[in-house]
Amino acid sequence: MYRFDYTDMAAGALLMIAGATVSIVSISNYPLGTLSRMGPGAFPAGLGVLLAFFGLILVVQSLRNEGERPDLRFWSPLFVLGGVFAFAIMVEPFGLIPAIIGITVISSLAELRIKASSLGLLCLALCFLAPGVFKFGLGLNIPLFAWPF
Amino acid sequence: MELLGNLGLGLGVALSLTNLFYCFLGALLGTLVGVIPGVGVLAAISMLFPLTYNLEPTTALIMLAGIWYGTTYGGSTASILLNIPGTPANAVTCLDGYPMARSGRGGVALFMTTVASFFGATFGIILLTLFTPIIAEYALRFGSAEYFALMLMGLVAASTISEGSAIKGLAMMTLGVIIGLVGLDSQTATARFTGGSLGLMEGVSLIALAMGVFGVAEIVMSVRRVKASDIDPESVKLKAIKPTSDDVRRSWFPMLRGSSMGSFFGTLPGTGPSIAAFLSYAIEKRLSKTPERFGKGAIEGIMAPEAANNAADQTAFIPTLSLGVPGSATMALMLGALMIHGIAPGPTLISDEPELFWGLIMSFWVGNVILLVLNIPLIGVWVRMLTIPYHLLYPSVLLFICIGAYSASFSPLNVWMVFAFGALGYAMRIFKFPGAPLLLGFVLGPLMEEHFRRAMLLGRGDFMTFFDRPLSAAIMSLTGMILLWSIWSSEGAKKRRTERANSM
Repeated sequence: MYRFDYTDMAAGALLMIAGATVSIVSISNYPLGTLSRMGPGAFPAGLGVLLAFFGLILVVQSLRNEGERPDLRFWSPLFVLGGVFAFAIMVEPFGLIPAIIGITVISSLAELRIKASSLGLLCLALCFLAPGVFKFGLGLNIPLFAWPF
Repeated sequence: MELLGNLGLGLGVALSLTNLFYCFLGALLGTLVGVIPGVGVLAAISMLFPLTYNLEPTTALIMLAGIWYGTTYGGSTASILLNIPGTPANAVTCLDGYPMARSGRGGVALFMTTVASFFGATFGIILLTLFTPIIAEYALRFGSAEYFALMLMGLVAASTISEGSAIKGLAMMTLGVIIGLVGLDSQTATARFTGGSLGLMEGVSLIALAMGVFGVAEIVMSVRRVKASDIDPESVKLKAIKPTSDDVRRSWFPMLRGSSMGSFFGTLPGTGPSIAAFLSYAIEKRLSKTPERFGKGAIEGIMAPEAANNAADQTAFIPTLSLGVPGSATMALMLGALMIHGIAPGPTLISDEPELFWGLIMSFWVGNVILLVLNIPLIGVWVRMLTIPYHLLYPSVLLFICIGAYSASFSPLNVWMVFAFGALGYAMRIFKFPGAPLLLGFVLGPLMEEHFRRAMLLGRGDFMTFFDRPLSAAIMSLTGMILLWSIWSSEGAKKRRTERANSM
């Protein structure tokens, strides 16, 4: 237990920063217009203020509440998001099959205890299944292999 | 008579071979996803969304809806056999379902919940058929001020009534609206918040947002936590599913009460199937002459909530289809599906697209019959699904999410968005922010801005335009009341918490 709810405090601060950014960007880049003829900047500028206001309330509330330690994990988000990252970076230059292997291997690491044999089998199965469904079943035009050089 | 003609039209659409097939596919996939803990309905719908790009809008919606009510059917299986709710709406079913399974009556529980689900869904569909056209006709008179007020009420209710802190819900709703504004402004063609990216001109992809916030983030939270458990195969043998006449006699009124509760809460924004199921369980327990049986395998305790959540699944379509204002994140996805296929949601939907509307409604009947037929003989298969180890499941789910996002526009940009929203979703889990208001705000955001600007134009720049028109004023004051109530109740909850802490 902490004396203040630091999780909420951090969240509120982030919301305030985000809200302020949205408002400043809208006011400085997009015309605000008048109340009867609003420009593209008016609505987001108002929303930014609203978001920052909610953030402020959250910070004030956090000072009145005791907090618990947040459920922070390091490896699971790293590997799961890393897998998505690998897919995004590989699918266009190298094609679908390398991207499948990339995402499967990297995201499987999140389990922390993996057997090479079951991972290999999973990769193999997905390399047949995914193109089977998307490329040949649904007729989506994704190249299986590509060579960028 | 007109109603009969429309139902006939709808039945014709729903029973066409293509639609029948996709209805079956949706219901099947939905049940599958509902059975597997750790994959929610939102993740499932957005994951399977790419499969519908090439379909007719009616067929696409029939399939997506099939997934939605299929998960609720399937979710009860995991609740009863594993004590893990497959979806939040089935959480209450654990209370009496799991004890039934423990005492060897798991088969009976699965069979009876299937019946209750069918009963509740049927009840909901009848109300949907009767009321949606009436509400839509009334709503034709709405102006921009009314629409803005209505959407605001929907968003505020959905953000404050659901679980967790009201402020966090409201903040996520605001953030969702802001994210919804990314892209070309519909009135002045100004590119907003795109950072010069051409791909972002069309706006943030709904699918990428839903898959990131609900799919990827859910996987991050579930890795190394969800375990496939051991199930006693004896308890689900088919010979053991026949209910006793006592079970049947006890089930009628709970089903009826559950269906009514579910239908009511399904239509309200922010409540939906989970709350309906929870409340109907509480009511059954209170009405029962033998409340001590509850929690130890009382059949009433599974029949009422399962009827309620399925009825709510169906009636949730009433505001979505009649007004174009979704009450939950899932309905927002449905609405998004309509818009992606180029159909404008709103009260004119029924008259403009009668085949879509009536076809969809009749497909609910068809789909529920399919589920009834599907579920009972396949109980054994579903149970086996539960034993698939999660470490094989989640990389596959993640891969399908990425391919789905990529195939939406054949550009890695959507996959990058999944990555970004996955990170945002994980941060939201850590900070305990709800995801549903974000999605609702995102879908409604652009519409709200449009109506707001138009209402202000018509009202000559006076904010009072929202309060001068009687209907809009009524909706606005209702919204204010919901806000006040949520502040009051969260303060009350805090006081109770501290009092309890002090007395301990």
